[in-house]
Amino acid sequence: MAASFLFSQFMGGLTTAMFLFLIASGLSLVFGIMRVINFAHGSFYMLGAYLAWQGVQWFHPTGAGFWAAALLAAAGVGILGAVVERLFFRSLYGREELYQLLFTYALVLILGDAAKYLWGTDQLSVSTPPVLAGSVVIFGSTQPIYNLFMMTIGPVIAVVGWLVLNRSGVGRMVRAAQMDREMLGALGANVGRIYTGMFVVSSCLAGLSGALVTPIQGIVPGMDVLIIVQAFIVVVIGGMGSIWGTFWGSVIYGEVLSFGILIFPGFSLFSVFALMAVILIVRPWGLFGRPL
Amino acid sequence: MRLQHCLGLALAVAASAPLAAQAEDTIKIGFPIPLSGPTAVYGKPILAGAELAVQQINAAGGVLGKKLELLSRDSKANADEAVRLSRELIIKDSVDFLLGTLTSAEAPAVSTVAKENKIVFMVPAAKTTLLTDDAHIHPYIFRLASNTDVEGLAGAGEMAQFKDVKTVVTIAPDYAYGHDSINAFIAAIKKQRPDIQVVDSQWPKLGEPDFTPFINAMMSKKPDAIYCSLFAGDFVTFAKQAAPLGLFKAVSNRVVDGGEVGTPDAAQALGADYPLGIIVNAYDPVIWGGGNEPPEHKKFVEDLKAYTHAEYASGWSIQGYSMVEALVEGIKKAGDTKSDDVSKALIGLTFDTPVGKRTFSAKSHETFAPEYWGVATKTAEYPFAIIKDPQPLPTNFPTN
Repeated sequence: MAASFLFSQFMGGLTTAMFLFLIASGLSLVFGIMRVINFAHGSFYMLGAYLAWQGVQWFHPTGAGFWAAALLAAAGVGILGAVVERLFFRSLYGREELYQLLFTYALVLILGDAAKYLWGTDQLSVSTPPVLAGSVVIFGSTQPIYNLFMMTIGPVIAVVGWLVLNRSGVGRMVRAAQMDREMLGALGANVGRIYTGMFVVSSCLAGLSGALVTPIQGIVPGMDVLIIVQAFIVVVIGGMGSIWGTFWGSVIYGEVLSFGILIFPGFSLFSVFALMAVILIVRPWGLFGRPL
Repeated sequence: MRLQHCLGLALAVAASAPLAAQAEDTIKIGFPIPLSGPTAVYGKPILAGAELAVQQINAAGGVLGKKLELLSRDSKANADEAVRLSRELIIKDSVDFLLGTLTSAEAPAVSTVAKENKIVFMVPAAKTTLLTDDAHIHPYIFRLASNTDVEGLAGAGEMAQFKDVKTVVTIAPDYAYGHDSINAFIAAIKKQRPDIQVVDSQWPKLGEPDFTPFINAMMSKKPDAIYCSLFAGDFVTFAKQAAPLGLFKAVSNRVVDGGEVGTPDAAQALGADYPLGIIVNAYDPVIWGGGNEPPEHKKFVEDLKAYTHAEYASGWSIQGYSMVEALVEGIKKAGDTKSDDVSKALIGLTFDTPVGKRTFSAKSHETFAPEYWGVATKTAEYPFAIIKDPQPLPTNFPTN
């Protein structure tokens, strides 16, 4: 097996990983810190993709239009997140997980139908912005520039997320809310606002990842449900609430999938699920999580 | 409680009375098909084609003096739901015939309902050979769709043209349709070009969001050409990811796809990103790049555009339209609407479609419908790719 091929496969795995990380980071944030199982995170991601498509139609199909559309998608989904959190999630905190699951599943169905109503059932597509179109040859393997761009976005978000959580005043409040929500409230902090803020950040990340995925994927109804399962796998592998856990979880997922199909070409998903099963047995709290 | 019961019963009787009277002069056709979910992309245009045919036939006076009535239901591409709806349509709505379903999961399931209830059932899109093979054939099932053997044979014919191709890799969705069509392709290419070797097969899941690792794995085998059965959103995603990775360039565009991505539906979605130069197919290319368009087809597309108010017609509506035409011919030949008579009339029946004549074979009740194949090309006239000189293939399928 040629070295350039192994490198291609490795880079392919990294591309998968960074897309997943972008989506899973928002999920991990609310899952790990707010203890909310947001099944609708995939729907937010899907809405981001549709909004980006809409934005590209409005602004311009080429040039700066794509970036404006991506911002529109992130902002639009962020606003939706704020509304949903203020109106509905607020009354679900502290209740049994089943209620959250049922509520967010209802959101999945409602948003799925809303998207179908607004954008129809046809597959849609967005072209790669011209700056990032084309590809370069690295170590004898062809790498699309857009994939390289994604590979830099992922670590940037991980580092920024980690810095904010661990090195800033806001981050301290967030971590305090994770440890003891009631005590933080008793000390005079506005816990409600912290939660809304985190939910909005998570929603923005979902919207942004939906937008960034459009140049390399078709936009179709059903993309919401497909992605949420993968995103949950990544969060579980990495450990809940740890941004680096989610990051490395994504990398492991991407690489295992990428090299797994070489070993078991007939069972493309086998290796990933096998990995998750092993991790759940050996370290149920995930690679970077702490035992509950 | 009792009173309510009686009232309910009375209401039910009152409600059903006018329906029973109506049934006398209409021919009811149950039509379970996905109208929501990802596969509604196919379900909706197929239904639109059937609706257009019904409208035209009714405007011309109906069949045997009766009007046709379509009762469409959303099967959600779910076999259980399709079965439930079909039973309901038969028992509650007392439909005379069943047309519809989309996937290779729904169609065989509804086929058993049709068999139990002795009611003619016609299938527009499901390609699995299991639907009408010796073990599953019964008097009431008819297939307008092509099947995976026909698709594989036609695809192998296109591949065989490339004289210098020695190695091929395949990629198809990891479920019944994908495996059947790749197996059929491999069987056919072995006969037509024994010198060609299939060196690798990739099986991404249906709805795969990231084809990158699969594409890299395919390229590592350095194939001369690629055969794929990816369709709809999967094809869109695959094409967008494969182009920058250099896949199409690496095989000099010698890619043959049997998943009906030659329709304007798929081409419009990809727009400028469509991989030009590859070989694609469609039941109905809608736009004939070249000029050998059948005249009946021109009229059909104009009517369809007027009916759906769409700028471009769908490549799937023809399946719904032709199915209603076939049924009507069967009813005319039988002289009544009893499924037993219509079934006998349909076997061996030749009927017109906008793209030429089709015949239901005596043994497996299917048309072995050829599809239109050709090179995806960009012209100045349309903002998306179209098939250049579409040819109906295969030309010599051994029907039975």
